Amino acid sequence: MKEPAARIDACALVRQFPGGAGIHGIDLTVAPGEVHAIVGLNGAGKTTLMRLLLGMLRPDRGVVRIGGVDVRRAGPETWRGVGHLVDHPLAYPELDARANLRAAARLHGLGRREAVAAVDAGIAEFDLARYAAVRTSRLSLGNRQRVGLAAALLHGAQTIVLDEPTSALDPAGVILLRESLMRRARGGAGVLVSSHHLDEVARIADRITIINDGRAIGTLDPAGAELERAFFAAVHADDRARSAA
Amino acid sequence: MNGALNGFGVALEFEARKAAASRVMVSITVLLLAGVAAIALGMLLAAASGQEQVLAKLGPLAELDGWERLVGVVAQVTAAGGLGAFGVALSWMFGREFADGTVSALFALPISRPTFALAKLAVYGVWAVGVAVLLTVVVAVLGFAMGFGATDAAGVGALARVPLLAVLTALIAVPAAWAATIGRGLLSGIGVTVVIMIVAQVLAVADFGTWLPIVAPALWAIAPESVPAAALLTVPSVPLAFGALCALAWSRLQLDR
Repeated sequence: MKEPAARIDACALVRQFPGGAGIHGIDLTVAPGEVHAIVGLNGAGKTTLMRLLLGMLRPDRGVVRIGGVDVRRAGPETWRGVGHLVDHPLAYPELDARANLRAAARLHGLGRREAVAAVDAGIAEFDLARYAAVRTSRLSLGNRQRVGLAAALLHGAQTIVLDEPTSALDPAGVILLRESLMRRARGGAGVLVSSHHLDEVARIADRITIINDGRAIGTLDPAGAELERAFFAAVHADDRARSAA
Repeated sequence: MNGALNGFGVALEFEARKAAASRVMVSITVLLLAGVAAIALGMLLAAASGQEQVLAKLGPLAELDGWERLVGVVAQVTAAGGLGAFGVALSWMFGREFADGTVSALFALPISRPTFALAKLAVYGVWAVGVAVLLTVVVAVLGFAMGFGATDAAGVGALARVPLLAVLTALIAVPAAWAATIGRGLLSGIGVTVVIMIVAQVLAVADFGTWLPIVAPALWAIAPESVPAAALLTVPSVPLAFGALCALAWSRLQLDR
């Protein structure tokens, strides 16, 4: 029996910026039902990698496939199954939380009736009922992030890409997100999350890949002890090896 | 095809909702209407009291009276000030996605980015027609309040120039949308608006550019008889060309800056 296509399959990705920053050849996969975390220090290339995966940047070399479809040729059917929060959430300051979520549902291809149900579910899932009628401009950074996460996930995405999704969340929000992602992974979604530290979400990952200077330099065992120590040891070893080269 | 149309409908609803909820669009509308009315009223009152500087500024309009003088003043103010307002509106509609960072949320969706760009232009077009109608109502109220209805009933027809000029002016502001996209923010759009305004006004005052689409409306505002209808028909080439460039720019967009 043929194996289902990877939710994300990136092969030999390269995108270089003037000055040498960028992505210098990364392979990465996210399988159905898998949570894959990428960790790295600020500037390691995590966000650039995610932008490449989602078509926000075009690679100099390499290919990205989502659900087996090359993103250069991906159409509405492919993108309908993708949910992401990279850089800035879909949270327009002039709209209230409910209007933003409704817009997200419609933009992700849900019909009017489906959107109403999905918005209600998203509000409940991320505990946003108190803020549903509040302009997003008046929300705290953490609650804006909750709106953005609900917007990224409410349409039942099978491919989920989240860049530092816990950066502004309080501990309760982190737990909500963790539970939400685990539930979705159990339902077959492939989840890619990034973090600059080994937070609660990175710790639920099935795989952790370390990114440094635009390359994947190793992995961490999510069940292992002393994750921070192992992470910094890998990063410093890579830095020393590049300095010596 | 149905999918594309459905996608455009969803994008249109999305853009319309943002524009309607935004204080920016409401502020621009109020400032434009109040500004044009205040300047026109001030100039007419000053001219009526015989102030020579104002009469000199009015030029050939000083020899007119009633509706024709009112509409002439409104047309000149709208050709310059209206262009600024329309350009700022477009710069905000397109540039805010970059300034607020929301542009990243418009990637990786079933609706293509050019569809969003065209939906923005469609919302802008509907808003501009609404502004043109409101401006005409404001000018009509102003004229009747000044007693022109009784003294110059035949001149009421001149009012029809107001909405037409407002729409033509809105059309030549569309390059601001493209500039805001290319420049990734509001300032580039506003800058291009200022350039169009200066070129249009300088050439119109020099009585040059009847067949230049960005100049024809301003020239028609100053001297309607010198601009044939066919010249005004060239004006839609500006939004067509820059609307297409805008869609192309959104299609090729990368978050690389």
